[in-house]
Amino acid sequence: MTSLVVLPVLIPLCAAAVMLILRSPMWQRVLSFVALLSSLAVAIAVLVEVWTDDEILVTRLGGWPGSFAISMVADRLAAVLVVVALGVTSTVLIFAIGQRSRDEQSPFYHPVYMVMTAGIVQAFLAGDLFNLFVAFEILLMASYVLLTLEGTREQIRSGTTYVVLNVIESLVLVVAVGLIFGATGTVNFAELPARLAELPDGVRNGLQLLLLVAFGIKAAVFPLFFWLPDSYPTAPSSASAVFAGLLTKVGVYCLIRVQTLLFPGEMRGLVLVVGALTMLVGVIGAISQQDMKRILSFHIVSQIGYMVFGLGIGGTAAIAATIFYLIHHIPVKTSLFLVEGIIERDSGSSSLASVSGLARRSPMLAMLFLVPALSLAGLPPLSGFLAKFAIVRAGLDDGHYVVVTVALVVSLLTLVSMVKIWVGAFWGEPSNDRDISQANILLASPSMSVATGMMVALSIAIAIGAGPLYEFAGDAARQVLDVGGYVVGVRGS
Amino acid sequence: MMLFVAIFAQFAVGGLTLVGLRRRPALAAALGVVVLACSAVLVAARGIGGAETSSYSVRWLPILGFNLNVQLDGFAVVMALLVSVLGAAVLVYSLAYFEHDGTYARFVGLFMAFAGSMFGLVLAEDLFTMFVFWELTSVWSFLLIGLNDKSTSARQAAVRALLTTGAGGLCLLAGVGILQVQYGTTSFSELLAAGPSGNFAHAAAILLLLGAFTKSAQFPFHFWLPGAMAAPTPVSAYLHSATMVKAGIVLLARTSPIFADVGVWRWWVVVAGVVTMVLGGWRALREVDAKLVLAYSTVSQLGLLTVLFGVGNRYATYAGVAHIVAHAIFKVGLFLGVGVIDHEIGTRDVSKIGAARRAMPTTTLAMVLSLLSMAGIIPLLGFATKEKALVALLDLERDAVGVVALAGVVVGSVLSVAYSIRLLRAVLRSDVAPERSQVAAHSSVDADHHSSVAVRIALSGPVVVAAAVSLAAGLTAATVGSWLVAPSKSLDVNAVSKLALWPGINDALITSAIVIAVGAVIGWRAPLSQSATSAATGERVFDGLYDTTMRLAKRITAVTQSGSLPIYVGVTLLVAAGGLVAGLVIDAPRLTGGVSWGSPLEALVSIVAMVLAVGVAVARPRFAGALFLGGVGYAIAVLFAMRGAPDLATTQLLVETLTIVVFLLALRSMTQKTGTHVGWTPRVLRLGIAVGVGIVVPLFLLAARASRIRPSPAQEYFARSLDEAGGRNVVNVILVDFRGFDTMGEIVVLAVAALGVVNLVRRAAR
Repeated sequence: MTSLVVLPVLIPLCAAAVMLILRSPMWQRVLSFVALLSSLAVAIAVLVEVWTDDEILVTRLGGWPGSFAISMVADRLAAVLVVVALGVTSTVLIFAIGQRSRDEQSPFYHPVYMVMTAGIVQAFLAGDLFNLFVAFEILLMASYVLLTLEGTREQIRSGTTYVVLNVIESLVLVVAVGLIFGATGTVNFAELPARLAELPDGVRNGLQLLLLVAFGIKAAVFPLFFWLPDSYPTAPSSASAVFAGLLTKVGVYCLIRVQTLLFPGEMRGLVLVVGALTMLVGVIGAISQQDMKRILSFHIVSQIGYMVFGLGIGGTAAIAATIFYLIHHIPVKTSLFLVEGIIERDSGSSSLASVSGLARRSPMLAMLFLVPALSLAGLPPLSGFLAKFAIVRAGLDDGHYVVVTVALVVSLLTLVSMVKIWVGAFWGEPSNDRDISQANILLASPSMSVATGMMVALSIAIAIGAGPLYEFAGDAARQVLDVGGYVVGVRGS
Repeated sequence: MMLFVAIFAQFAVGGLTLVGLRRRPALAAALGVVVLACSAVLVAARGIGGAETSSYSVRWLPILGFNLNVQLDGFAVVMALLVSVLGAAVLVYSLAYFEHDGTYARFVGLFMAFAGSMFGLVLAEDLFTMFVFWELTSVWSFLLIGLNDKSTSARQAAVRALLTTGAGGLCLLAGVGILQVQYGTTSFSELLAAGPSGNFAHAAAILLLLGAFTKSAQFPFHFWLPGAMAAPTPVSAYLHSATMVKAGIVLLARTSPIFADVGVWRWWVVVAGVVTMVLGGWRALREVDAKLVLAYSTVSQLGLLTVLFGVGNRYATYAGVAHIVAHAIFKVGLFLGVGVIDHEIGTRDVSKIGAARRAMPTTTLAMVLSLLSMAGIIPLLGFATKEKALVALLDLERDAVGVVALAGVVVGSVLSVAYSIRLLRAVLRSDVAPERSQVAAHSSVDADHHSSVAVRIALSGPVVVAAAVSLAAGLTAATVGSWLVAPSKSLDVNAVSKLALWPGINDALITSAIVIAVGAVIGWRAPLSQSATSAATGERVFDGLYDTTMRLAKRITAVTQSGSLPIYVGVTLLVAAGGLVAGLVIDAPRLTGGVSWGSPLEALVSIVAMVLAVGVAVARPRFAGALFLGGVGYAIAVLFAMRGAPDLATTQLLVETLTIVVFLLALRSMTQKTGTHVGWTPRVLRLGIAVGVGIVVPLFLLAARASRIRPSPAQEYFARSLDEAGGRNVVNVILVDFRGFDTMGEIVVLAVAALGVVNLVRRAAR
């Protein structure tokens, strides 16, 4: 069972290697699906295993003992995120193939997409700080290639912002890894907690801050989020959907590990303030935009703020709420970008000024937008309401009234910007262009619609199944906070 | 269980209509009427049959106590009956009112979804459940106000309504959260038992009131309601007068017994209610659009209900329950009546609607009865309930709150009578001729449509029935009143009173008589054609706030997202270095402990490397910069070699050489110098950041290295390298065996980078 953990990384990588030889689009597509679905199957098996037993699954690569080897570690949090990530990448693949855009036709699209998936999964499973850095490198390079696949002037331009700031992030991370190794003599997650605790306060704080900065850039928190709203809007919709849904969440996941495993509970106040500012600055950016993709991109930042807020509160209840938020948010954000992709394919634009009257033309599309949009704004009975209220409750419980107030105001502003998209794009006179206004948007590309529908259905399922899912989030939070359990689980002693 | 089935069925019809029955909206509406009627029967059977309260709950997210609890107590029976019966009536009416196109399907779907939400709201047994349905009703209301989404004003009104009620909703949510955290429950009965007091109770009470006041259009949040009249008449009649706007009142009714003694509660409720009642009445007296008159009268009546539920007097609660019923009935009748007139003669102008009198005598008569009920004139139901309200307020202690409440309600009632009488005059006015041109211009009217008896019955039926109910209930006030005792008691165990057609001569009746006389005179003399005095201030304030927020957001975003890569890089580096500085400040004394400074030769090479690094930053020609960069690399290779790592040094030399070659090849096709000239300030800043980071990172490295207490792991690598991995070069063994997985990852990175380059080169070639 334990050797299974590494498979969700290796399968997509092998598929990518094969695809470099096998360049027929048909075979590439088939291979992509086979790779993603088989990885998903393995990931589900792993999840079932860690869910039922209170056990951590570990693969020690090369079979070296204990902390000497690179470990791939699947605890509850990592396992569930791997499943969600593979589910999302599979669904978006359906969308991308249906979209028949120029980038999907490129012989490089599928292999790079596979590599990116492997990178995401590896980041969740890494049990070793340097290996995590490698996963980030894979992610970064693959996402940069996807971002610039069409090679338009605009993409290269914003790709530069993306790659420069993310390379700085890599630099900060590798410096942090080096400094940590220098100070503790290890990069293994199971050994680090004890060794870091031995360090003098100043060095410990400096190292923690450096890691927070590195992962904060990835997660796009204030004031390190610049790269995101400038680069995502130019990416092809299918790519930006995966970026939006998953990439920043890798950063949040790592922040959770920093705050629970490496430096348990330290600097909560700072994290809280960063969370509040991220929520606020992100949503302020969102309401000032006139373009759907830009609005949605700023919302990624704002929503990350809620998760960072949860992390800053700390304690089982808040971490559980954060994990639930993380899981709920992935399908919601992805589906919003997918809906935007459908609109952009139909209207050729994502600007609110040039799109209107969609609700009359396609009520189903309107619903596919409205459900995740209202979920994002935190309206009941959708998953976003439960997630937001859970975090707010935890904040009230701990007496963080100011941040709770910020969270609620941000909630209202989120509604403002969602309403802005709704009123601008979905209400009003449908386009006069007869060719466009007669076409059935959803039937124009059934697989795009099906993929979007699947994501929306997933977010509704999360709302309906919130009881058991939250119980799982609670278990995962307890496991995440139990540093001793993690150490023993990974060392296997 | 059956209650949830009823709610679910209403949602199901709504969903079905939006998805499957878009082309058969009439069928969907018929289905909706059946479901609503069944719900009404269910509620009535439960409410009348079982003396004890039936309740049911769904465990949704039990860990956090997020469960949906509904119960059918006396008050819930009354409200649920109003929701389902009026819903069915309005739906029947809508069959004739709308053309059966896509908009009608949308209407039916949203209408049913709303009915289900409202049904859930009135049955809610705790604040959490109520909040869930509360927000849903806001969303449906938004979509229904914007039903005619091609109209700019409808869209604006919808947004105002949603954001106002949404903001209130968030206040309510905060209140719910505080109560959950402090008392572990939001159940009305358990909170009553807990008897909240202190700061948290205060905060929660204020937040709940904000929620209630935005939803029920109390001053200063009343402005969205008249705007909501942009919706088609059936929507206005159902959502924005009979049901949804009562949600805040329901919340007040449920929570007043809990919070009545908490600080500001009574004061705020009474003042807000009184101001709203007078303000709404005043505006209703001046508006020329009959629908707006009714909208403001709704605002005014909601003010009265707020006062009644807020003062927490045993008579007032009863009067409130009774008046909710009376108001819902006459107001639905009036709205639908105005809708009929609008539909038939194409105008809602109060100076012109008299033209409908001759064509529609039955409808006109029905409207007259409903207007008399609104004015509170014997023998209609409105008289009996208004009477009770006065009795309750006269019974109040004569403290400041009581006096304000009484005086305000008396003034408000005078205005109510006045606008009712003014509208009565308008309806009965015989000296206006119908303007056919308007009829022709009215889109939903055509000849066939007109003549159909079924359409007439469907349109006028609900108006007539509503009037008949007002009259019959007024005549049998004592019986009807006895039905309302249990519902009032379910809110407040002490609630008592009864209704009567003729209460006998007492203070309240005399007050009533004076109110009616004064009001009638004012109403009789009020001009019909005068235009509204001022634009709605509330709307202006809202729009101003909205625009300011947008402007401010643009300004802030211009700073936070400037689009300048140098700024982004600078901030990012500063933040990273800041973290290290913080660490250094704490641990400054440790900097030098146990670190060797190396040989003089190493120092020399290091200084060369530093000078070359400065050269990279300073050099203007690009190729010079590239060469300097290579120089730094070579210097580091020398350092590696001196520290006994010849293979590492070789690798470094090869990589640097290759990099310089590629750089120079690429630079051939680029401009020779680095970007545009930058001013002194940014240059100094950049230099400062670069030097600062360059100093801080090595210092911290020293501190980090100095604080290590564990032995180096190198020994373990040496020990395992030959014996277990079979390699003599430890670095190689680390790369290909111990940490081979990392190496594979880095190879993947290179491969993907190569793909990216090939792709971009190909794109550029095309």
